[in-house]
Amino acid sequence: MNRPSMLRMTALLLSGLVAHQVATAENTSAKPWDDAALINNNKIKAFSGSPDKKQLDRLIAEGRRLFSASFTITDGVGRPMATQAIIPTKRKRPPKNEFARTAGLDANACSSCHNLPVMGGAGDFVANVFVSEGFQLADFDSTDPQFSNERNTNHLFGAGLIELLAREMSAELRALRNQGLKQARSSGDIVSVKLVTKGVHFGKLEIAPDGVVDTRKLEGIDTDLVIKPFSQKGVITSLRQFTVNALNHHHGMQASERFGARWTGTNDFDEDGVDKEISAGDVSALVLWQASLEPPVVNTLIPPNWQAAAARGSAQFDQLGCNSCHQRTLPLNSLSFNDPGPLDAAGTLRSDELGTALNARYNLALMDWAEALEKDDQGRWLVPLFGDLKRHTIADTQVDTLGNELLSQRFVERNVFMTSELWGIGSTAPYGHRGDLTTLNEVISAHGGDARDSRDAYVKLTESDKSDITAFLKTLVIAQ
Amino acid sequence: MSFLNLTSVFSFALTTSLGAGAMSVANADDNTPAFHGDVPSYVEQAIKAGIEHQYDGPWEYFVGGGVATFDCNADRRPDVFIAGGANESALYVNQSQTGGELVFKKSNQQSTTIKRVTGAYPINIDNDDWIDLMVLRVGENRILRGGPNCSFTAANLSFGFDGGAAWSTAFSANFEADEKYPTMAIGNYVDRTAPGSPWGTCEDNVLLRPRARSLTDKFSTAPAVSYDEPTSLSPGHCALSMLFTDWNKSGQDSLRITNDRHYHRGGEEQLWQLDKGRYPRLFTRSDGWQPLVIWGMGIAEGDLNADGFPEYILTSMGDTKIQSVDVVQASEEQRPVYEDIAYQRGATAHRPYNGEDLKPSTGWHAELADVNNDGMLDLYIAKGNVEQMSDFASFDPDNLLLGNHDGRFVEHGDKSGIALNRRGRGASIADFNADGLLDLLVVNRAAPVSLFRNSGFASEYGPRKGGNWLAIELKQTDSNKHALGAKLAIKTGNKTQVRQIKLGGGHASGQLGFTHVGLGVAERATLRVQWPDGEWSASYRLFANHFAVITRGDEHVSYWYPPQNDAPDSMASEH
Repeated sequence: MNRPSMLRMTALLLSGLVAHQVATAENTSAKPWDDAALINNNKIKAFSGSPDKKQLDRLIAEGRRLFSASFTITDGVGRPMATQAIIPTKRKRPPKNEFARTAGLDANACSSCHNLPVMGGAGDFVANVFVSEGFQLADFDSTDPQFSNERNTNHLFGAGLIELLAREMSAELRALRNQGLKQARSSGDIVSVKLVTKGVHFGKLEIAPDGVVDTRKLEGIDTDLVIKPFSQKGVITSLRQFTVNALNHHHGMQASERFGARWTGTNDFDEDGVDKEISAGDVSALVLWQASLEPPVVNTLIPPNWQAAAARGSAQFDQLGCNSCHQRTLPLNSLSFNDPGPLDAAGTLRSDELGTALNARYNLALMDWAEALEKDDQGRWLVPLFGDLKRHTIADTQVDTLGNELLSQRFVERNVFMTSELWGIGSTAPYGHRGDLTTLNEVISAHGGDARDSRDAYVKLTESDKSDITAFLKTLVIAQ
Repeated sequence: MSFLNLTSVFSFALTTSLGAGAMSVANADDNTPAFHGDVPSYVEQAIKAGIEHQYDGPWEYFVGGGVATFDCNADRRPDVFIAGGANESALYVNQSQTGGELVFKKSNQQSTTIKRVTGAYPINIDNDDWIDLMVLRVGENRILRGGPNCSFTAANLSFGFDGGAAWSTAFSANFEADEKYPTMAIGNYVDRTAPGSPWGTCEDNVLLRPRARSLTDKFSTAPAVSYDEPTSLSPGHCALSMLFTDWNKSGQDSLRITNDRHYHRGGEEQLWQLDKGRYPRLFTRSDGWQPLVIWGMGIAEGDLNADGFPEYILTSMGDTKIQSVDVVQASEEQRPVYEDIAYQRGATAHRPYNGEDLKPSTGWHAELADVNNDGMLDLYIAKGNVEQMSDFASFDPDNLLLGNHDGRFVEHGDKSGIALNRRGRGASIADFNADGLLDLLVVNRAAPVSLFRNSGFASEYGPRKGGNWLAIELKQTDSNKHALGAKLAIKTGNKTQVRQIKLGGGHASGQLGFTHVGLGVAERATLRVQWPDGEWSASYRLFANHFAVITRGDEHVSYWYPPQNDAPDSMASEH
């Protein structure tokens, strides 16, 4: 281990210890060798208001601790009588093996999979998960795609900015719809509304004077006009929803805000003998840590020949039209991250479920990395995500590599995926939603459907030009 | 048998995604089941909302007191026509702001200001763009033909309808197979002119089947249907509620009638077999029909276990009944054999749940709806002494029995704020301010109408939102425009909820409009519709917290958005 790595490790250990001590301060009986990772559930009150930098760092440390915690049965690991489904769903009988690499439980800690190149990052092929709705055949023991969609682990760096973009875009789209409704009602005519936000087109709505909205011309977004920026499919609204889903799916750790007595009639829905496994405060801690992760950067500490190739590749990237979906930046108005967020539905904590004083308003501008974000001439932060937060068809009859799933997911068709944000792609091989493409050349060549023209143009490039594009993409890294 | 044993016996029948293991345990102190769900906070605001109305009058108006809830001006907000008894009836047009306080404006048109009205039901008889009203009266019943902007005209003559002179107290309507116009049934109470009245002098009920007629004048606006050949449903046993219902999932409705034992002699509950084109026939002992004699006041239908066979709530004096059919006998032998499951479900509601009065309670309107959006049906029962019946509770608050995860109902009338000292009769549960929360209007005898706005759900942090929900409007284009008889199967995860578009039942009260479904924590649902002619639709995909409009023949779902206030974040009402 080199010196910087050792220093980093030492810092991590220390911060973990500090956080552990903070979390366990009330519990005098806690011992360093206790099996439990949680010891005490976090109180939501700790994650409320507008913390200053020092407070924020302390709270983030607790989130980091939970993200890396290997949960145990003492904490409530296991869901012997519940499936991985996002709606509390009972099994008919407990599974023979609680841990299984297919239907789950499939990880001990969040960081078991999210670890490349560092914690919070992506995962190797070995860290793939098998996504099933978890209602029927929830206990599949096969990787056959008729039972589940195999997905590679995404990285979470910059996730707070992604969620903020999605919130702003959703709000703008809904405002457009509401303007259209008002106009249709007042004019008595059918009004056609083009849905464009931050330069991204989402089709249009036809609005009748009686307030009935025809959504059949929408593109790349659900009919509720909520951009769901997380997961390769783009079906998860918020880090909070993702966290609640994942804790149950991968660890059998059930958050009270969805699996608790209010919604299920019991505090031990999974019948593992542990009540109230994950508190709202625990979820908040995990959300905050993920939201605070530094966005990926462009690696400039590279040799001149790489820099030159990357510059050529960057230009080529635009010439091929890759940037029509992988948009280099999207502008963000505010770095204020509210938790709970404004778009979640029942089952993920909503802001009105807490008193006003218990809602958190984190200022991500306090993060060290925020200063490095560029701004446009309107003072908006430019989030360099290389994405558009829109879903596209990514396979066709001739180029069907990425059309390898058999199951639609949450109303989204098999061949349709959210544009992958390319920031950090230089640090997160393998590629493709299944993580079975080992090089960038493979994954670019696998683009069909809406990306077919750009992909065809890429395939026709000389090997040298292709290499330049690879050089460019590999400068988009997660800071280590 | 202890409560816990009971729950274990009955929880197996649930087909919810939660299954048997989610059973609640009883509170240690009082043997009532623990309830951890959301309790609505109802705020009574009738006067503030502009509804100042009272149902009152002598003996004939001890019963009745209904309300028709429907949209009379095509703005999709439910308006209400309220019976007045000896007082005048009144039409109140809904002007509530989305998500705001409830506001109604009384219509001053003469046609809707009628005395001697006991109840009313909305129905589009002539398949035009406007909903009509069947107004039940002591004396001549009236059809009020709907027009634009909540205008109504008396239309007995144009429909060939003889309103009679009976004391009418019940109504139901359906569309029989291949019929363009509805079949209607009117339930009558005591024949006051018969010798020995009122004891044992129940009036016969009436079945009105449509007779299409051709109009010679192509510019005529007269309806192309006549109801000039009524069929007597005899014997009548003093009906107080009736409902066309497909009790055995055969696709063929029968007519269920609940009757008041107080006045009939030798009567009982009734189920009429109504094969199209044949004379109506009562189900009898040989068909499996078991005698049941109650003070039948109201019927509510709901499919509590989503098996396609409806359960029936029957209100009475004393125990409320929940009848569940023997599925094998119903489906294989067409025998209507029922078991009363009200006790097991914790829904007998046989005496007041608060106050000191141990005497039996008196139930009237019953309605199943998910008032807390948790994905389980709740049961509302209007309660109140007939007038001064000393053998029955005088303080008799309405029930709000919230569905629990163990399949039982748990009383929350008091905590929800609806336990007023008023004599409830008819009622309506509807989302008057389009916020996804079901409000409640109660017509009381000799007391003001109660209008309860559902203001959210109590929590330690103040009112909060409840579960997710959907409101679904079905549309057909030529006939039966509101799809009476259609069945909706709403699937979330492994759980299916069933709703049916019905008109009838309750206590002199009925409604047409959005069908409301609570979804709990499901943020999406798939819906299949069985249209009135039996044809199943493909699956529709719906996002929660929306008003969905589904037109037959269109595979696409449209959404309706109520007018938004100028609040900066109008999306708040959606989630």
